[in-house]
Amino acid sequence: MNIIIVGAGKLGYSLADMFAIKDNNVTVIDNDSEALQRASAHIDMMAVHANGLNIDVLEQINIAITDVLIAVTEGDETNMLISLIAKRLGCKRVVARIRNPEYSSQLDFLKQTLGIDYIANPDLETAKEITKQLLTNEAIYMDDFAGGKVAMSEFTVATTSYLTGKCIKNINLPKRILIVSIKRNEEMLIPKGDTMLLAGDQLYLIGVKEELHNFAMMYNDHLIKPERKKIKRVMILGGGKTAYYLAKRLLQSGIQVKIVERNKERCKELALALHDALVIHGDATDVAILVEENVGNMDAVVMVTGFDEENILLTLIAKKYKVPKVITKVSRSNYVSVFHELGIDAAVNPILLMASHIMRHVQGGKIRSLSLLLGGQAEVMEIIALEGTKIVGKPLRTIDLPEGIIIGAVVKSGKVLIPDGSMVIEPHNRIIVFCLRDDVDKVDQIFYKGKRGLLNELRYGIEGHR
Amino acid sequence: MNYGMVLRVIGNLIVFEAFSMVTALAVAFYYKSSDIYAFVNTIMIMLVVGYPLSKLKVKNKDMKHKEAISIVTFGWFVVSAFGALPFMFTGALPSFTDAFFETVSGLTTTGASVLTDIEILPRGLLFWRSFLHWTGGMGILVLTLAIMPTIGVGAFQIFKAETPGPVADKIVPKMKDTARILYTVYLGITVIEVVLLMVGGMSLYDALVNTFGTVGTGGFSNYNASIGHYQNHYFYFVIGFFMVASGVNFSLYYELYRGRVKTIFSNLEFKVYIGIVIAATLLVFFNILGRYESIPATLNQAFFQVSSIITTTGYATTDFDLWPDFSKGILFLLMFVGASAGSTGGSIKVIRLIILFKLVKREVLKILHPRATIPVQINGKMLNTDVISGVTGFFFLYMLLFVGGTLLVSLENVGLVSAASAVAATLGNIGPGLDFVGPTKNYSLFSDATKWLLSFMMLFGRLELFTFFIVMTPSYWKKV
Repeated sequence: MNIIIVGAGKLGYSLADMFAIKDNNVTVIDNDSEALQRASAHIDMMAVHANGLNIDVLEQINIAITDVLIAVTEGDETNMLISLIAKRLGCKRVVARIRNPEYSSQLDFLKQTLGIDYIANPDLETAKEITKQLLTNEAIYMDDFAGGKVAMSEFTVATTSYLTGKCIKNINLPKRILIVSIKRNEEMLIPKGDTMLLAGDQLYLIGVKEELHNFAMMYNDHLIKPERKKIKRVMILGGGKTAYYLAKRLLQSGIQVKIVERNKERCKELALALHDALVIHGDATDVAILVEENVGNMDAVVMVTGFDEENILLTLIAKKYKVPKVITKVSRSNYVSVFHELGIDAAVNPILLMASHIMRHVQGGKIRSLSLLLGGQAEVMEIIALEGTKIVGKPLRTIDLPEGIIIGAVVKSGKVLIPDGSMVIEPHNRIIVFCLRDDVDKVDQIFYKGKRGLLNELRYGIEGHR
Repeated sequence: MNYGMVLRVIGNLIVFEAFSMVTALAVAFYYKSSDIYAFVNTIMIMLVVGYPLSKLKVKNKDMKHKEAISIVTFGWFVVSAFGALPFMFTGALPSFTDAFFETVSGLTTTGASVLTDIEILPRGLLFWRSFLHWTGGMGILVLTLAIMPTIGVGAFQIFKAETPGPVADKIVPKMKDTARILYTVYLGITVIEVVLLMVGGMSLYDALVNTFGTVGTGGFSNYNASIGHYQNHYFYFVIGFFMVASGVNFSLYYELYRGRVKTIFSNLEFKVYIGIVIAATLLVFFNILGRYESIPATLNQAFFQVSSIITTTGYATTDFDLWPDFSKGILFLLMFVGASAGSTGGSIKVIRLIILFKLVKREVLKILHPRATIPVQINGKMLNTDVISGVTGFFFLYMLLFVGGTLLVSLENVGLVSAASAVAATLGNIGPGLDFVGPTKNYSLFSDATKWLLSFMMLFGRLELFTFFIVMTPSYWKKV
């Protein structure tokens, strides 16, 4: 696939990095040669130092045979114009980032008149994701996979349950449900057939959505659904675009919202736009203000200031005041590795989130779990099997999977299957993979890298490697 | 530094060299020449050393700038050392110094020789000598990238470190594809030249040897009198033409393939390069008028010698050391011009000289109009200050190496002209110089120390000074 990305900022970089695997030809255009150098030093792509609005430049890099152009420059209007030009020049699909909330009501009109195929709004997506994490308090609490067919769910084994002391192989599980992991004493275990269930174990199940529901009903007395306090009061620290979208959504669900923002003018704007929200003018890093505004009484606190460091610090403060639910926006993916040490369990990365959404739109490829799951100890991801990878074309039992990686479900031509040793995955099947934190790095190897060795390298060519 | 990864890539490189030596072995077999065992032994040694290295387990495959530079520098060194073995095993050049000099000269496409009589050597060895030009021309590592892309993301760093010119750019987004396109062009030019030479009546063996020397802009021939041996103006012209063609930026051939002829002719470096070839040919032509049998012959001689030196090939069809001083002066100056960036040629390169000229022009204008804003631009694009300072730094270092080298070689008491031209011809990867190292003579008269010095000069020149220079600075070895 030929992909052109205009703008080598954080999002442009992530997109280039994600797309530059396999046989995708990625070209990145930017005016800033330093940003380009940074990208081309790490990613196998072509860097073009030019203005993305320049028709000559676009024609030079073969816009007419390009599959996707993604405009992610600083300005909304620039992105729109680039998309418009690209579409007219014959680009098959165009994606534009448009952030300004004022455009949000006319997006459909813009899409139609400008011929934009997908409009990316990171702030809106971040707000949606945070809302989802705040509001879903049913048993089936996680993202749906494979377009809603597959879900993941969490239960605790009740003390009185007859399940206590039973081995997994003796439990009468519905056919299309799999226990992928057990959390016992704050530690994740990968269950085997002879693993015994104990009272208080938290079970993580993957399976067909309806069957999971039925299962929950069936074992109603033996499994405790995770208790989640209904959220009524939310404090949002930082009053940017994300805060605006988030507050709007929360207010619609009848939740009280308190926003702390340090810019007076912005406070006025927010207060005008969001009638029911309480907008506080003050520096969120000033702990006195947080205490004054009763941070400890909140059901949830969300950090969406423009600075990762500030967000992380504020999370620690909120934790100290025992806020039950704390969600942090962090844009730098390399901070994620220290979250566990810091005790941060819910983080949303707008860049990765947006990049995944665009990726899903463009080729339906790998979707990394969007937030840290299960207290950062595991990730769930949806992957499309690629031709020529280890996983394809052989019975699963012959594939040497690391212990911490479990294939939870496979979707073959619309049907959800729970894999067993004899299953053969074919190219383009969707796979739901559950993976412990320590084995995340191996996922790429197994699902993307071809086999080692000269012949295979000749056959499959260069592998995107990070 | 990630030593594991560096060793692994170098291991791969050695295995590749072993494979490429099979061609020379095949030639030796075909002619049943005496050098078969020299090749068999060398290939065995290379496989024994290279294969385990290439299978080295590495924990992380990270490649940064430093790794790329180390791979390129040490890779060239190691490959030269192994490539020298057949010369020693056959007894053609028993001393390692001589064999190493000859191999480096081949790989760096210099074409300077320490062999006094080429024609008595076995045919396999002569083939190998010229084949070194061909593999070294586009870059041994770029070749590796083209066929075996184990290196992943670090590939671009290596490509940048090995490709001649101030700015290396990919032609297409994938490094692997870029390397493949470059090699396809290279292979294409090679095949066309071989065919044209054979049409003129040259044997396949001679055509291959001469083509390797031409497209790699190397200059090794299988006759003592170089191309002059053939006494055939058709060959002179074909080889002359292909030398010039190999000195053109290879990405322009890709433009040609994509039908963008306009881009080629509006390319400033291409225009200046062709301009210099024409101007120098005419100047030499008028200066040597009357020395050869006819006017077309004279023109052909002038063209051949000029294109041979400017593209840093180093073939000769006549002993230009006997030409008048003016012509020799022009040829000597051309040694500092070199071909285009992104070609197989060496030396300073036309694009750098253009940038330097534009800088001088800017300084002059600045003195006249102190407030003037004058961007330095090439092909309508403004150059950033990093590139400009890189070019000035390169030029200074080039001159420093030239002057310093000349001083050291002058210890040999061969006269300043010989000393200076020997250094200019090795640093610029040309081959023959003037006087004692002229086209009919060779480098065997120098002492071992000077041969090592000149070997290093060739590596310096081929790897664009800095890549090689960095390894010699203390800061490279510091663990920072």
